[in-house]
Amino acid sequence: MKNHTKKGMATALLAVAGSAAWAQPGTFPRNGVYDQRPGTFAFTHATLYTDYQTKISDGTLLVRDGKVVATGPAASVKIPAGAVVQDVAGKFIYPGLVDVFTSYGVPDAPAAARSRRAGPQFESQKTGAYSWNQAVHPEVNAAELFKINNDQATAYRALGFGAVLTQPADGIMRGTATLVSLNTNRREQEVMLLERAAAGLSFDKGSSTQDYPGSLMGSIALLRQTYLDAQWNQRNPARERNLSLQALSQQKALPAIFQVNDKLSALRADKLGDEAGQQYIIKGRGDEYQRLDDLKKTGATFVVPLNFPEAYDVADVYDALRIPLEDLKHWELAPANAARLSQAGVPFVLTAADLKDKKKFLPNLRKAAQYGLSETAALRALTETPARLLRAQDRIGALKPGMEANFIVCSAHFLADDNVLLDNWVQGERYQLSTVPADYRGVYKFSLTSAEKILKNEFYIGADMSMLIQGKPEAPELKIVPTVGDTIKGSVAVTSELATIVFNFSDKQKGKGAKSAEVPKAPSSAPSPAEGSVRLSGFYTQEGRVFQGDGLLADGTPVKWRAVRQEEATRAARRDSAKVVPLPVLGNVIFPFAAYGRAALPSQQPTLIKNATVWTSEAAGKLEATDVLLENGKITRIGKNLALPKGGRSIDGTGKHLAPGIIDEHSHLAISGGVNEGTQAVTSEVRIGDVVDNEDVGIYRDLAGGVVAAQLLHGSANPIGGQSALVKLRWGATPEDMKIVGAPGFIKFALGENVKQSNWGELNVLRFPQTRMGTEQVFVDAFTRAREYEQEWKAWNKLSKGKQKAAEAPRHDLELEALVEILNKQRFITCHSYVQSEINMLMGVADRMGFQVNTFTHILEGYKVADKMKAHGANASTFSDWWAYKNEVKDAIPYNAAIMTRAGLNVAINSDDAEMSRRLNQEAAKTVKYGGLSEEEALRLVTINPAKMLHLDAHMGSIKEGKDADVVLWSENPLSIYAHPEYTFVDGREMFSLTADAALRADIKQERQRLVQAMLAARKGGAPTQAAPGKAQGLWHCDTLGQEKEAAQ
Amino acid sequence: MRFLIAAASLFATGAALAQVPMPAPAQAKPVLITGATLHVGNGTVVPNAALAFDKGRLTYAGPAAGFTQDKSSFETIDATGQQLYPGLILPNTTLGLTEIEAIRATVDEEEVGTRNPNVRALIAYNTDSDILPTVRTNGVLLAQPTPRGGLLAGQSSVVQLDAWNWQDAVVRADDGQHLTWPAMVFRNNPNEDASALDKRQKAREEQLRDLEQLFGEANAYRQLPAGRKENLRLSSLAGIFDGSKTLYLHADYGKEIIEAVRFARRLGVQKLAVVGARDAWMALDFLKQNDVSVVVSRIHALPRRDADDYDQPYKLPAQLQAAGVRFCLDYQGDQETAGSRNLAFIAGTAVNFGLTKEQALTAVTLTTAQIMGIDKDYGSLETGKSATFVLSKGDLLDMRTNAVTRAFIDGRSISLESKQTYLEKKFRGKYGL
Repeated sequence: MKNHTKKGMATALLAVAGSAAWAQPGTFPRNGVYDQRPGTFAFTHATLYTDYQTKISDGTLLVRDGKVVATGPAASVKIPAGAVVQDVAGKFIYPGLVDVFTSYGVPDAPAAARSRRAGPQFESQKTGAYSWNQAVHPEVNAAELFKINNDQATAYRALGFGAVLTQPADGIMRGTATLVSLNTNRREQEVMLLERAAAGLSFDKGSSTQDYPGSLMGSIALLRQTYLDAQWNQRNPARERNLSLQALSQQKALPAIFQVNDKLSALRADKLGDEAGQQYIIKGRGDEYQRLDDLKKTGATFVVPLNFPEAYDVADVYDALRIPLEDLKHWELAPANAARLSQAGVPFVLTAADLKDKKKFLPNLRKAAQYGLSETAALRALTETPARLLRAQDRIGALKPGMEANFIVCSAHFLADDNVLLDNWVQGERYQLSTVPADYRGVYKFSLTSAEKILKNEFYIGADMSMLIQGKPEAPELKIVPTVGDTIKGSVAVTSELATIVFNFSDKQKGKGAKSAEVPKAPSSAPSPAEGSVRLSGFYTQEGRVFQGDGLLADGTPVKWRAVRQEEATRAARRDSAKVVPLPVLGNVIFPFAAYGRAALPSQQPTLIKNATVWTSEAAGKLEATDVLLENGKITRIGKNLALPKGGRSIDGTGKHLAPGIIDEHSHLAISGGVNEGTQAVTSEVRIGDVVDNEDVGIYRDLAGGVVAAQLLHGSANPIGGQSALVKLRWGATPEDMKIVGAPGFIKFALGENVKQSNWGELNVLRFPQTRMGTEQVFVDAFTRAREYEQEWKAWNKLSKGKQKAAEAPRHDLELEALVEILNKQRFITCHSYVQSEINMLMGVADRMGFQVNTFTHILEGYKVADKMKAHGANASTFSDWWAYKNEVKDAIPYNAAIMTRAGLNVAINSDDAEMSRRLNQEAAKTVKYGGLSEEEALRLVTINPAKMLHLDAHMGSIKEGKDADVVLWSENPLSIYAHPEYTFVDGREMFSLTADAALRADIKQERQRLVQAMLAARKGGAPTQAAPGKAQGLWHCDTLGQEKEAAQ
Repeated sequence: MRFLIAAASLFATGAALAQVPMPAPAQAKPVLITGATLHVGNGTVVPNAALAFDKGRLTYAGPAAGFTQDKSSFETIDATGQQLYPGLILPNTTLGLTEIEAIRATVDEEEVGTRNPNVRALIAYNTDSDILPTVRTNGVLLAQPTPRGGLLAGQSSVVQLDAWNWQDAVVRADDGQHLTWPAMVFRNNPNEDASALDKRQKAREEQLRDLEQLFGEANAYRQLPAGRKENLRLSSLAGIFDGSKTLYLHADYGKEIIEAVRFARRLGVQKLAVVGARDAWMALDFLKQNDVSVVVSRIHALPRRDADDYDQPYKLPAQLQAAGVRFCLDYQGDQETAGSRNLAFIAGTAVNFGLTKEQALTAVTLTTAQIMGIDKDYGSLETGKSATFVLSKGDLLDMRTNAVTRAFIDGRSISLESKQTYLEKKFRGKYGL
């Protein structure tokens, strides 16, 4: 140990010894004379809140030895001898606040240290008997890392906090957090209230340098598997002494706080918790109001930050257009979040987390109150609820006998505009927050009077002057408005006892000179009362908000002065508080919370489309002048002259074409946090279904292109990728509700250049496979393991209960279970593929291992092996005319789809592209040009054929009575470049139409304009602004790695 | 049996077909095309037209009734029921510069460094690219291979797509310089703080100062007498100040367009066009008032901002047309080289969203030729101009009907075969289809 460190320690010890330590000495020796004090304090005549809702008007609080001894009305609490009595009449006492989401006194999470230039890292760098994954460290015990930190504690205490839960915010399984008080006079051993108070989790791997997980879905899969592993480990401890899994099992009973970065991930976390048998407490982003009803259903308690965005710089017409509508709206609505949670009955606690400047906590809390959060609800969310969540309600969060003496003394009601936090008592020790007796800023009626009559008529004497005190309570700024003339500046200083004011009437002459003539010229012989400084001394009385005292004018004339605060004028002048008392008028929450969102899903009103050319994609072919009726989400009738049911509406389809909605077999839209978990060769455990993003504007744009459903696919970065989600484009529904009920499971496989990382740069040459040769072995190995796994479980399941007890249970392996599902035809493969050799290889492996490749996607050399695909029973989903973008597509030809169709395959045209997916009808049409398919055949390539290959054709993909009402009314022959959808129906709901689109455009314009004006007004009012953010417009492609989208064109 | 014979005959000719077809020889005798509907390219449509050409030049283009020459001296093509269009012109393309995007060895589109005005795309233009024949068959007969990247990427040239080598192919050498206007600084990442933004802003200002300096010096340099010490950069920029070369300003954002044009004009650039221009709708009046030509980049694109109209890219041509701005259409973007065969359908989409068919055709023929300065010879089918055109069974702008039956460049009847048609035949043969 170096010398200066020793010295530092010595100083710290002295500091502790030197404080007013009344506490028992505990196990610690002392240097010098012991200083144990009785530590008994009585606070009398307080407005005392013993908890968030229980008020005692003339209350007494008695504390001793760091604990509450008694609370009650003055009459009922007997003050013992030896108590230090403080009369706090007019003041308010509340239980100390509790923050459940801090990193107080624990090391900051280190930034991920690995450079992007490094090659892959397959294994954890944390050596020892721990989890294989570096981001999973439930064994980390924050209590062991905790060190009292004076600066951080001071900052939290200034906000009124007395106890916090703390943990390094790092990793996916973060370990246990510890509950500590913010007392800094004692030692760690004494301030730690609960050593392991909660477990911490997130989807963010934080400082882990390990590749896996490289996506949000990977994080979810890792959590899911880790819970299973912990169970298995607990059952079979001999197999692996795994300290991480042991720790996880041990903390299962603790409250678990899950940090997410938005409302969608809140839903994801809760769903994961349901699987794992855990009800998480969810630390959100403050956007919970955007999905209030769905979040309420989770049953979770939310930890809500008060991090309100600053207004954006919207001065420039065009730059302002770059700001996404949801950001503009969030600026307006974020302060209402807590109020809405409260009104909806969603349990929540408030946290100072996420605030870059912690000092904004109280102003923002007051702002939340202006937006409807009651003081009671706010107090509850900062005291009772957090204490209860941490099962520490018998120690903190209220003031009851035996509890920690954590409380704050306020000059006014907690959320009152002019409340000043005076003292924060933590474990019975006082931390003075303010020497200012109260927030005395405001507009005062100011009078100077003198007994000497001579002055009576002077302009600066009288009762009708004004005094303004602005700035911060600690650093006030003074202005005097005299009876005549301009406002002048002065100085004011107020301490708990005394006030001093200095100003100079002649100062105004230096400012605006307009009224200087009115200032009387003083005789040169004697100092004029009008020139030179006026000095006033006195004191401030909180009751009545009055300054008063004596002073001297510049010429020595004694004066009396008095300033009485004008409450109404004060409120009006406040810059840091809303000028309006009533609730601000706020914009609607729309679903999704993005441009083109709506207040509600469109209805399933019965709809009769009359007299259209109907492309059925069925044997019936194309029907001229036909009516189609949509009711309750289904196509109920097809025919001529159909009657319109009651309550229905009809659409004239004359000259127009009604076609089945387009189904995109290969889409990467609507996915959060990465499309590839390509960090391992086999990642069948990851699920796109875990990360559906219902707010991707691509959904709406696809609807405008006639698309009604899509397979959301994992990327092609590894041979066995993740599981797909089959969704309908129910724009505005939750991610779960977008999924097609009853749809079979699908999974992405991939071959070729992407999986062998041919185009990934020179650093990516380590992950197996690097050749097509190795790719085959990945499949053979994976399915061999899957077979063995299945056998292992079958054998286990055959055992009697008794034998099972004695035997070692197999481990649940979600990766292999997905493959077993394939073997059992419960899950189907969509395989990214290009050249014939690899296509034949996979079919060969499939035949040998006993599974089938449901679909080859891309399959640009399918035309070379169509006969073999037919024999295998594979479907083909291809591009119309893409080629030459990499070596393996140099033989791709636009005749591919037609040749495969003619060879007897079920063929689809897909997009794999958020732009092309809007024009899939055109891509299908190209097969008429290239290869001579009929127009009806061409349209099937994007309707019934993909429905068949996705096993959805029983209820989707064609216009047939009884099928889902997923139809598009085209302006023209749908295969023409001149055709565009006029209506797109999903489940009979008008999800897009030209008229509805026009209305939405108008809404967006109007809402934008309103918000821009509001921001300009806020800026004018002095609110800080930030540069306009552009939404990084990005897209997922098959080969996008990591969690950042690729820049769009 | 039939299948076997077919396969055998295919393989016999396979070796030749697998190559890029031989360029067509010069026109040997006058040709007359009759019966087609003639789309002149300037907005005029002539039903039942006659088109006559000799030695590569049109000697007649108009109504059949008005054709009075002796038909017997012509080789006559009866194109009754077909549509006749000027060969489409593909501006601002990597065609011939890039073969396979993912293979670096086949990519010659972007030189290292940011100021390469002396670099010339023409000499890298590969007439043997397998991609070229697949583009011609959809109606594109001329192109402007254009270097990418940097600030000053280098010079483009205009070529025709049926040639032995680049010298053969050239229609207009080194027609323009390409300046990628430095993007305005915005906060693209919500975590980016003010100081980072400021740093980027300063870097941009520095870049613009440098550019201004370079232009100023180049303009002065060209006035130096002969015998000056040669500076390749400065001398290559002379053309944009003496009017012999067009400065193509690549900019998308409305304010960038205005800024770039004003900058160039202020520094004495004579001829300019804005390329990209995806937000040109923000600057319509400016473009019109300043007589700025626009090369609109591929409109099969996503709107640039979430809240933009879903059809904003599609309707941009109609907005420019309505505002009276001169514009043409290109195919720049993802997979542009191989995808450029879809140029006609870009025009088709512009029709779907507001243009007339003939306006859209003009935007891929005559206006393009005007902007490139080759309209004396190309871009429309009028007497005296080059016989560069295609015949299609149906509407060329709609993939549903686009079916090119013949194509002529400078009167030469070019092959419509390609590696892809070869592979189609080969594998149709395999299955006896």
